[in-house]
Formats: sequence, C-alpha cells, structure tokens
Amino acid sequence: MADFTFPLPDVGEGLTEAEIVSWHVKPGDPIAVNQVVCEIETAKSLVELPSPFSGVVKELLVAEGDTVQVGSPIISVTGEGADEPAAPDTGVTEAVSDTTASVSSEGDSGKVANLVGYGAGDDHATSRRRRYARATPAETPATVPSAPVSAPVAQAMPIIAKPPIRKLAKDLGVDLASVLPTGVAGEILREDVVRQAEQATVFKNIETPAWPENREDRIPVKGVRKAIANAMVKSMFSAPHVSVFVDVDATRTMDFVKRLKASPDFAGIKVSPLLVMVKAMIWAVQRNPTVNSTWTDEEILVHHYVNLGVAAATPRGLIVPNVKEAHTLSLRELAMALEKLTVTARDGKTTPEEMSGGTITITNLGSFGVDTGTPILNPGEVTIVALGTIKPKPWIVEGEVRSRMVTTVAASFDHRVVDGDVASRFVADVASVMEEPALLLD
Amino acid sequence: MRELPLAKAINESLRAAMLADSSVMLMGEDIAQLGGVFRVTEGLQEQFGPSRVVDTPLAEAGIVGTAIGLAMRGYRPVCEIQFDGFVYPAFDQIVTQLAKLTSRHEGTQAFPVVIRIPYGGHIGAIEHHQESPEAYFAHTAGLRVISPATPHDAYWMIQDAIASSDPVIFLEPKSRYWHKGQVDVEVPGLAMNQAEVARVGRDVTLIGHGAAVAMMQQAADIAEGEGISIEVINLRSLSPLDMDTVMESVRKTTRAVVVQESPGNASLGSEVAATLAEQAFYVMQAPVLRVSGFNAPFPPAGLESIYLPDTDRILDAVDRSMAY
Amino acid sequence: MPYTDATLSLLAPDGTLVTNDRNEMYHQAISHLGEADFREFYRVMRVVRRFDIEAGNLQRQGQMALWVPSIGQEGAQVGSAFATRSQDHIFPAYREHAVGYIRGLDLINIIRMLRGVTHGGWNPKETNNFHLYTLVIGSHTLHATGYAMGIGFDGACSTGALEEDQAVLVYFGDGATSQGDTNEAMVFAQSYQTPQVFFLQNNHWAISVPVRVQSRTPLFERAAGFGLPSIQIDGNDVLMSYAATRLSMDAARSGQGPHFIEALTYRIGAHTTSDDPTKYRDEDELAFWQARDPIDRFRTYLTSLGVEQAFFDQVEVEAEDHASDIRARTMALESPPASEIFAHVFTDDHAGITAEAAWLEEYLASFEEGSS
Repeated sequence: MADFTFPLPDVGEGLTEAEIVSWHVKPGDPIAVNQVVCEIETAKSLVELPSPFSGVVKELLVAEGDTVQVGSPIISVTGEGADEPAAPDTGVTEAVSDTTASVSSEGDSGKVANLVGYGAGDDHATSRRRRYARATPAETPATVPSAPVSAPVAQAMPIIAKPPIRKLAKDLGVDLASVLPTGVAGEILREDVVRQAEQATVFKNIETPAWPENREDRIPVKGVRKAIANAMVKSMFSAPHVSVFVDVDATRTMDFVKRLKASPDFAGIKVSPLLVMVKAMIWAVQRNPTVNSTWTDEEILVHHYVNLGVAAATPRGLIVPNVKEAHTLSLRELAMALEKLTVTARDGKTTPEEMSGGTITITNLGSFGVDTGTPILNPGEVTIVALGTIKPKPWIVEGEVRSRMVTTVAASFDHRVVDGDVASRFVADVASVMEEPALLLD
Repeated sequence: MRELPLAKAINESLRAAMLADSSVMLMGEDIAQLGGVFRVTEGLQEQFGPSRVVDTPLAEAGIVGTAIGLAMRGYRPVCEIQFDGFVYPAFDQIVTQLAKLTSRHEGTQAFPVVIRIPYGGHIGAIEHHQESPEAYFAHTAGLRVISPATPHDAYWMIQDAIASSDPVIFLEPKSRYWHKGQVDVEVPGLAMNQAEVARVGRDVTLIGHGAAVAMMQQAADIAEGEGISIEVINLRSLSPLDMDTVMESVRKTTRAVVVQESPGNASLGSEVAATLAEQAFYVMQAPVLRVSGFNAPFPPAGLESIYLPDTDRILDAVDRSMAY
Repeated sequence: MPYTDATLSLLAPDGTLVTNDRNEMYHQAISHLGEADFREFYRVMRVVRRFDIEAGNLQRQGQMALWVPSIGQEGAQVGSAFATRSQDHIFPAYREHAVGYIRGLDLINIIRMLRGVTHGGWNPKETNNFHLYTLVIGSHTLHATGYAMGIGFDGACSTGALEEDQAVLVYFGDGATSQGDTNEAMVFAQSYQTPQVFFLQNNHWAISVPVRVQSRTPLFERAAGFGLPSIQIDGNDVLMSYAATRLSMDAARSGQGPHFIEALTYRIGAHTTSDDPTKYRDEDELAFWQARDPIDRFRTYLTSLGVEQAFFDQVEVEAEDHASDIRARTMALESPPASEIFAHVFTDDHAGITAEAAWLEEYLASFEEGSS
C-alpha cells in the first residue's frame, strides 16, 4: 500500500492551468483506474479526468473553483499498487529549454508522469553547471545565463587590431593597451606587438630621474662591485679576447619555443629562446670540446662536463651562477634549472658554491634590447656566448626577400686556447641550432 | 576526353546511369518526346521507353510526391522541375516529406530521389525563370544540395546524385547549359560532397557555386592584370559544405569573398561567412564579404545585369577586402 | 440526412440485412465469408474501440500529449482492411488504428508516436505494408499513387492472378479532399491508370469545419469528375465496407485503373484530445450517429445469426486485457537517447551530422554531476 498523487496534466497541448469545476469523488471513496475523478475547465474546453490509480481516495488536494497550475497535485490516493507507473525525471516538468538530455524513467515514488509538451507554463528555467561557466555564477539564475561576456572596458581610444594580431599578442603575453600602434588607420601591426614583446620589462617602468643636486656621488669599491671589477680585469688582461659574430634566421627557434610553451609538459615552466641557445651551446661543446676549458699556464684543462654559467643581473650587480652538470639535463630539467637560477639571483640568494666551478657562460643582451656585443670572459673560462635581440628583419628565403626572426650569435674566446677556426665552428654550430632546433635530435 | 556543353554532359550522364541501373527513371513535364525545355533529356525516352522516361501531369507537388512513392517501391526517380521559380508548389513535399522520411522511417527505408532544377539568371527570361532557391533547401536537414559549375562537374555529379541513397537537390546553372567544356568520361571528378580549387591564388579567396564560378574566374583574370592573385573555390556541394577545402584556402590567403546570384539576406553565402568567422577567426585579415543579388524580387530582365553580381561588383569586394 | 440515394449498404443500422438490385453484386462479394469471419470482424472492432478509449484515458492522465480517437469509424476501417489481400500496400492518414491492428501493427507504436518517442514508430515491411502515419493532410495520397505507379511499371498487376496482383489502398478524410496534393494524386492515378483505391472516410468533420465547407456536392462525385469509378457507401456497415473495398481493389489490381470509395461515417469523438466538439457540434447530430454505431448494429446482426452471449463476453475480456496491457507498456516507455536526433537524418555518411552529433555528445558529458 502506498500513497499516489495525480498532478494536473496538460490536456490540450500547451495549457498552463485549469479550474477544478467539480469533484466526482470524496475522501474514503474506493476508486478504479479510469474512473472519472473530476471535471476541469481549461482555456479550450471542459474535460473529465480519469484516475490513473486504483485504491481509496485519501485527500482532495484542491477545492472546487480553484485554478491550478499544470503539474500541481490535485488528488492523493492510497493505492493497491497494481499499476505502479514509472515517472520520468521531474526535470521535464520544468524548463522547456532543457530538452537535450534523455529523460530516463526513474521511479519517483508516488508521482505519475507528466510528459511531452509540458512545461509551457513554467517560468523559472533551471540550468546545470557548465564547463566554461565563470568563477562566480549566480546561485539560481532567473534566466539561463548567456555565454561568458568579457566586460567592456571604457577606454579613451579603442584598440584596433585584427584577429591574427590579437592572437599573437595573447601568445606573446603582450597587453594590447600598452602597444604603440603604427598602422595607417591607427591599428596595431604585427611588428608593433613583437617590438613590445621584446622590450625588457626593466625599461618600461624606469622613469628618468632629475639631475641630482650634489656634484658627485661616492660609491665605495667593495663587495660585489669589487669582485666584478677584479674578475673583469683579471680576465681581460690575462686572456687575449677574440669576438666572433654570426647572424642567423632564428624563426624556427621562435616557433619551437611557441610550441614548447603550449605543450602540457612545459606547463608552468618558463621557456624562452635562451633555453634553446643553452641547449645549442651544450651540443656545440660536444662537437668542439676545447671551448669548454680552463687555462692554467702549464695545462689546458678540457672539461668533459658542462657547468653552464648564466650572467644574471641582480640588485647589487652582475653575477654568474652556473647550472651544474647541464650536459646531463633534459630540456625540461634545464628549463627548470635556468628558472631557479634566475629567481635565486634576483632574490640575492645565490651561494658562492653556485657561482664557482663554471665551465662556459652565456649572457643575454637581448633582454636589454641590444643586438650584440663583445662580452668579457668569466675568469677560469675560455668561451662566453652572447644572445642578442631576436627581431623581424628582411632575410632571403628561397630567393625571395621575406620577413624572418633574425638574431646575432656572438661569442668571445681566449685565443690562448681557442683559435679562429674552432671559435668559428663553435659559433656556427650554435647558430645552426638556432636556425634548425631539430639538429638537437642528433 | 570529350568536349560537351553542360546540358549535353547531363544528358549523356543520365543515359549512362539508366544503362547501368534499370531502377533509374526520369519524370517531369515535357521531358519525354520534347526532351525537356532545355533538351537535357533529349532522346532518352526513345532509348528507354515511356515507363522509364515519364511525362507527368502539370503538377510539381505531384511529381515529387509520386517520386517518393516510387522510391518506396524501389525505383531511383530523377525528377525534373522545369524552372527554379516553379519548385515552390513542390516545396511542401520536398521539405515536409522527402527531407524527413528517412528520419521518420528510422532508417528502415531509403529515399534516393534526385530533383533536378535549372536555376539562376543571365538568360534574359521572364518572372520566375531566374531564381536561386538553394538556401531554402540547404537550410532543411535531410536534403543534400549540390550544383555543378562545369560540364565535367555535371557529368559526374548527376551520377553521384543518382547513386546516393539520400534525397539530392541538383541545381543546374541554366546560363551555363550551352557552354562547352572538357569532360573526362573515364575518370570521375571529385566526390559529390567536395569543393574544388578552380584556380590557385595567394591574396584573396573567392567562393561560389554554379554560374558564379565562371564569373569569379573572369574577375580573377582581370585582377591578375592588376597584380592581385585570386584563388577561386567552386563549392560544388552546398549542403554539406566542404569547409576543409575552403579553410585550407582561407588560411593561405587570409581574405574571403563569397559570390552568389541569390539575394544575400539569410543566404547560403551567409552560412559560409558565419562558418568562416567561427573557424578562421584568428586567420582572417578582413571580414568575409558577400557579393549577392539584391534583397528585392528578381527584377525584369532589363535590370538583371545590374541586379546580379558581375566582375565589377566582385572586384569591388576584392578591393574592399584588400584594403583592410 | 447525410445519406443519399447513391449510398450503398448491406446491413441497416438496426442490424438487419438489406437487399435490392443495386447491392446484389456486393452481397456476392461477401458470399465467401462465414460466421468465423464475422466473429473476427466483431472482435477486432471491439478490441480497437476499447483500446481507443484506454488511450484517451492515458492522455487525460498525462501519458501522451495528444490522442487521436477513431471511435465510430471501426466499421469503415475493419471492413476495408479485411478486404485487402496480403500482397497489397496500405497508406493510412493518421486515424486508421484498426487497419494497422489488422495488418499486424502493435498498437503501442501509435502511442509511442503521440508520446513523443518517435515520428514514425514501425517498419512497413514488418506490418504487412501498413505504411507510417502522415500528419500533413493529404500529402500521403501522392506517395500512395507513386507507389501504385511503380507496381504498374513493374508489371506486378493486371496479370489476372488475384492472389498475386498488387494494389494500393489509401485512406484519407473529407478535409483532405480539398488539398491540392489529394487532387493531384487523383490526376496522376487516372493518368497512369494505377492499381489503386482511394478510400475516403467522410467522418463529416475536419476539426470544427463541417464537410459542407469542403464541398457542396457529395464527395464521391468529385472523384467521378476525375474519371475514377466512384461509389458512396454506409461506412458504418462493416459488411458493405468489406464488399466495396474487395470489389474495387480487385478491379484496380486487374487493370481497371484507380477506384474511389466514399464511406459515410462519423467522428464520434473529438478531432484529438485537444479539441472540444461541444463548441461546434449539435447534440442531435451526435445522437443520430450514435444510433448508427457500427459495433452495435453488427452485434445485433451476429446475435440474429445465433452467436452466443459467451462469445461477446469473451471479447469483452480480451478487450480489457489488451487495454490493460497497453496501459502497462505505456507506463514503461522510455524517452529516446539524445543521439536519436542525428541517427537517421541521412542514409549515407554526412560530415555535418557526424560533427554535430559528436559535439552534442561532448557537450552533454561536460556538465558536472548532480545538475541542479
């Protein structure tokens, strides 16, 4: 024995309510399936409603003369359980808009199905939590929320940029609002975005200070500054420096870096052309081992391991911490090591141990917007490589002038150890990887 | 290789299809002894007899409705609607019945009915004889809509349509009926649902079907002389659209212009434009432009050359696209 | 009086046989039938009527959006359906539940359609060629004609072998006779001399519009105007329905071209459960036709033949059981999966359909569990 309720059905394809005109039964009456329980009046006609249940009338839930919404229970019957109906998902009685899911017949005990065509009257639509829903959705939205809308920013001037340029800016992490447009119609061009991307952050926020009032500032030579000075002098005036330069089309490196950035393996890890150049240097060292040496007057110590130094700007000056055993690291490990090194240096926490034992160094002039330079060797080493800006320049590709991402690979060598041919081969090797990173698969 | 006008290519192809499969039959007004008002079915009743090439009473709903019954019986009827503007009495049988019967039968019965419709302008005809109704049919799920641009297209696509198990609306560009072209009767063309790169170019992609393809080629010739390299896409299939071919082109050129005789409002070109806007958003240097008939009833023939897209209107759109 | 001088019948409303010169050939046409056949006619009429009432109740209980009653038309449908031969094809409109039943249709499938589970519901190849319902008025008459044309082109008729020659029976109502498609169907049928019978159930109402708005002259004369041999019968006379259909179908299948039967009957119920006939119909008219009920008069006739009460009681039990079974199975019906939207749009592969179906599947799967 169970209690069943009969909700008011939509008897006329889209009706929303009906008036109970007269009850034909009362509580306590025995009732059979299809026996008329009441007469209702709809917008279209007078209709008799037959009972879906057999049993005994328990309660008349609405009174004669009442107007009832479709779906509201009108009568309850204590049933003999003969014809237990399978009720579909009650979701169907609600949103008309919510029609795509298949409605399964879950038993909802006591309820008779309300069905197809129903829901014309229900005004509050419900919505399920969508995958792309914003972080702060409304709890019970009055209407189904529309697709996420980006808040319109009131700006003095609208940003004019074509979709491919917007994507480029997004990929390079450039805020279009900060880009100076040079297009004829005031639109931001590709080169504008690239230029913005390559500028060092360090320049963006520096304001030019006023001339100081005193004639001179006296800075004591001590600490890091003294160490740098000593190192430079020692290096410069003991090792005969030779610098070698080559321009290379680094477009494929830029593409490779873009792909790495998008790869899930490198998610959250800083990836830049410097990473590729460091890997290139290690590969080039393998092919030209003597560039990875130390001069000791009696001997040239050729190291068969690479502790790769990276010149890092810190608040107190230039230091060169190195990544130990860099030749054993995977690309990913290398990227993580470089990032750690940079962050530690910036925080001023680099240890002396981290700064000693380097075998070869790279310095990044490009982050300052500088094309190339003649770097000074780190004492104890015979090679230092400089990475400059990578920017679009005209280049000949298959006989035609095209815009490519070009950079100058520079390196200074100790000519006591490294002759011109070795120097050139080494630099050419580094440059060839910048041109074709796939060579690293060798 | 044969050189054939488009109408004859269809004629020969129908002949080949009817020889290959005895369930293929033709029905329409004036298609038997007269051979069709455009002579597309010339000689076919002589060859195949009056129960395979059937003159029908003058009743388009009747033509399509009885074709449905014949398809249920196991025939492959190829209906001819005499002119584009006369398809509308059959519209209910096409969209309410033919398009939905496969679905209604839940896959237990196929409805391989082909409806050939000469369409389009440029022939100086009177009212109702120069319409482009493709949007109504492309909009209706359950129909395939295709349109040949060349005799080679026509020869193979009508056979593909007949071989298809689905209802096919076959829109024949009547202004091209007597233009000749090379037809390779041995080697088929592209598949029925594929678009064709009719001309390779670099700067702008022109997209269209049927009679518009020749017009786009002419515009491309002129543009070449002006230093603009245009790629021409012959859609061939209007529903489904071969967006792969279109996208490959637009990724290369980054600019697209759709050309169509039909009025632009809620047209097939609108669908191409919207789909490109969605799929090629980051690629496009300019919005998709549409060169269409004006949103007014097709005018008296004296005005049709102004109403319909011509090379100037196409090149004007190309210029505007390039200027973005 | 809806009957005319032309109206043919074999069994009067009071259940007694009618004999005259005009109906002699029709008596001949039923002479091979025996009491067993008549019991079957009665059983089917009762079972289908009881089913119809149950379906109406189920609608009123919220189990269907809509029910389409056939109450009052059992005589026309049962007689004509039994008169067809097994090789025939039948094209119904949407109210021919008894015809479907006779051809082997499980009536739950009509309920499935009205419950929103399907637009079709059965495979005609599995229901002895009882085709799907067509809801657009008159459209199917052209399909029926086309099918019959195909029979002709195949040479599957007019061989003289009644058990093999095929023919098409197409049902439609008085409203349909105004539709262009129905008239074109008769044009084509006549032009190609199709093996086809047009069976008009003139139930006197097209929703709320009485038949006199469709035509000022008897409808069977319209068909005659197209050149079809055409008769008018008392459609509530199951024996006459049988006889007329038998003779017309056999004539049509034997090369005598398409024929037309107007069966005068009455839609005792509403057009559908959304309709309210009290708004437009006369109580007197309803009473007139209730007195001419096809089942009542046939029961009287059977009783006069000596059929025992036990038989009628047994039929009642069977009718109740069938109705209960329909009720139980209706309650157990499930909604189709979302993938059904795309399942049969085309027969061949279609890139657009494939892509959209995949999108929907992924979209539906993307919601968090326990949606609000």
